Amino acid sequence: MSTADGAVIGTTQIAGSAPRNRAFNVVLLAEGFTAAQQNDFNNACMTFVNTFRTTPPFDELSAAINVFRVNVRSTDTGADDPVAAGGTGATVRTYFDASFGGNNIRRLLICNTTTALQVAAAQVPEFIVVLLVVNSTIYGGSGGSVGTYSLAGGATEIAIHEMGHTAFGLADEYPYYAGGNETGHDHHPAGEPGEPNVTTNSNRNTLKWRWAVASTTAIPTMANPNCSQVDGRPNPVPTGTVGLFEGAHYYHCGAYRPEYDCKMRALSVPFCRICRQVIWNRIGPLATLSARARTPISVIARFPEHLDVFAVASDGRTVSNWWDQSSGWAGWFNLMGGIASPGGPGSPVTAVHRYAGHIDLFTVGTDNRVWSAWWDAATGWHSWFQIGDLVCRQGSVINVVSRYSDHIDLFTTASDGRVMSTWWDVRSGWAPWFHVQGGVAASGAPVTVVARYPFHLDLFTVGTDNRVWSCWWDERSGWHGWFQIGNLQCRPDSTVTVVSRFPDQLDLFTTAADGRIMSIWWNSRKGWANWFHVSGGVASPGSPVTAIARYSGHLDLFVIGTDNRIYSTWWHENQSWAGWFNVSGGVGMPGGQVAAISRATEHLDLFTVGSDGLVYSTWWDGATGWAGWFALGVT
Amino acid sequence: MPSKESNQPATTRAARLIFEYEGERVRLVSQQVVEMVVTGFDIARAHHAGVYVDARDAEDRTLSRVPARDAFATSTEVFPERAGEAIVRVDTARPKGAFTVVIPVPQETNKVAVVRVVPAQLDAKLPAGGTTSRVAGAAEATDLATFPLTLN
Repeated sequence: MSTADGAVIGTTQIAGSAPRNRAFNVVLLAEGFTAAQQNDFNNACMTFVNTFRTTPPFDELSAAINVFRVNVRSTDTGADDPVAAGGTGATVRTYFDASFGGNNIRRLLICNTTTALQVAAAQVPEFIVVLLVVNSTIYGGSGGSVGTYSLAGGATEIAIHEMGHTAFGLADEYPYYAGGNETGHDHHPAGEPGEPNVTTNSNRNTLKWRWAVASTTAIPTMANPNCSQVDGRPNPVPTGTVGLFEGAHYYHCGAYRPEYDCKMRALSVPFCRICRQVIWNRIGPLATLSARARTPISVIARFPEHLDVFAVASDGRTVSNWWDQSSGWAGWFNLMGGIASPGGPGSPVTAVHRYAGHIDLFTVGTDNRVWSAWWDAATGWHSWFQIGDLVCRQGSVINVVSRYSDHIDLFTTASDGRVMSTWWDVRSGWAPWFHVQGGVAASGAPVTVVARYPFHLDLFTVGTDNRVWSCWWDERSGWHGWFQIGNLQCRPDSTVTVVSRFPDQLDLFTTAADGRIMSIWWNSRKGWANWFHVSGGVASPGSPVTAIARYSGHLDLFVIGTDNRIYSTWWHENQSWAGWFNVSGGVGMPGGQVAAISRATEHLDLFTVGSDGLVYSTWWDGATGWAGWFALGVT
Repeated sequence: MPSKESNQPATTRAARLIFEYEGERVRLVSQQVVEMVVTGFDIARAHHAGVYVDARDAEDRTLSRVPARDAFATSTEVFPERAGEAIVRVDTARPKGAFTVVIPVPQETNKVAVVRVVPAQLDAKLPAGGTTSRVAGAAEATDLATFPLTLN
């Protein structure tokens, strides 16, 4: 009744072909199979694979899933079956010491979990989940760090439910502890559970899965009228409706689940929409990101050893990835079901960090409304909510600036091109949207903003005459009217990129109607200079010019050229502009954008969508120069 | 993307740790370097209540933190034999078992800690007119045990 009662025979990969170091690896261990019964184990494994890989959402994620079987022979067949728990009294010699009758409950099938984990780690060091397949037709199973199940019909469902806990951190959604007749489980204790699929919050506006709730769905969707018992009434809404159903997390009342039914509530039913999303976000990040072709990428550095990147996937889903010096790239994950508006390059996810432990996101949804979400180091991600009822242009960009940590200013364009703004302040919340000084932007032109001081804003856009226009706001004097900057004629969808290298200096970059990359500057002593062509550069139609000032006497520019290669140039104080050069052989999407950030003075990180539709990154370091481009995923 | 050079960043070094526990006592059974990525899903950035494993440097700074979802379970699930019947939970007299984590271990890691985090105290009041965030208090973390990391 130990490892002396058998031996590990060997390991075989039976499903999947993903690289083992970046895959969701499932290991099946044989228990209670004699040497002559190994084919029975092999067949049981295939039964599991067939069930597992056809269970949504695993059916969509199979490219990132590997399954291994570890053949282990035991001296005897089956598992112990103690009489005290209603069993036959069988005592057998098996490798992992499996036994029915844990806690004197016959169906509770337990094993030596340390041995199981050690064998799995020795055979498949990269395993994520380990399941013990017990050679018995007595029904049984259990969860925990090692899931167990027997060969009785339907027991594979136990394994998949337990995977929900072990691999995905999902909570039980059933509304009782011991079947419903227990005491002390009428009302859920105060406090919000950390798991993503249960909640004590019945406020639609702050519900953690509100992104999946239709506005027409009642909240709560189903309330338990008698908390002394489980609500056994049928589902009042169509199957698959996401809402708020009372009774979850072992309590009859006060805790809610997202759908009426889910595999985390009962076996043999599908995972609910929220659990499927969580599973996707666990396995999906193992892959690279196929991005919306021209998605503008946002990147922020909350501190020098950390990056947060935001983009839009090819199906419109809002996604993020992050890098930390200690752990590398985390992998792409979906941002709470958000779908960004198409049109032009498509609405990006714009990000701002008001302080190091907080991120605010903004995008225009498929309803052309402005949506926001936030992340806080203390509480994690909070779901999307709508900001006012402004109807934007399809594909509009939300530009955001945080002049100080308790304040945000937003700028975008309405469906008729009007330049619109709103602001949020910690003391007063969100203000109504307002039209900025009568300004109207050309079709596709975003509104860019810079705060040279905490009490000053400068706005830029391309007007309906295709000229560059600006206006400003100052805390002491309010908004000032729009004025034209020079006489440059732009593409109507040109972005006016602005950099303030120091508070009394502005540098603007944009593309002329013929694609020439143009610049102009302003400073408080000399006013506006004249537009000039930057080193003969010409941009791919629609490609914005990215500019970054690593320090006050230096500028770096990035753009997609007419040959779709990624180009850069730089300006250094008292020197002329350098010639354009191709960055590490990179090729981007026609009209695409290159995102850049400098998290340290002598360091740059770049991001773009490559010619194959994947998101790529590279970096420059003062000590080592330019690195090669790499597909951004998980490291 | 055609590139003159391919430069996929190296995978961050990770370790698989296996722990055994009985009651609140925990011991590190095995530690091994493992060549696999750890996605952001498993790297704790927010401070939800639960048990975690930290990788720490010599100055006790936490370099990475991952959840230990199956540690110190005080109950276990019992499954119905027939569809439609209830899954139930039963208390475990004395929590006992094993759990494993895979955690990024940068070169400066010299120890690992098993940590219990209790929830942050949240100010549930939202300013009138909406907000981007609630104000959070600090989560409290208590070390249950620390172990030297002796990976090669």
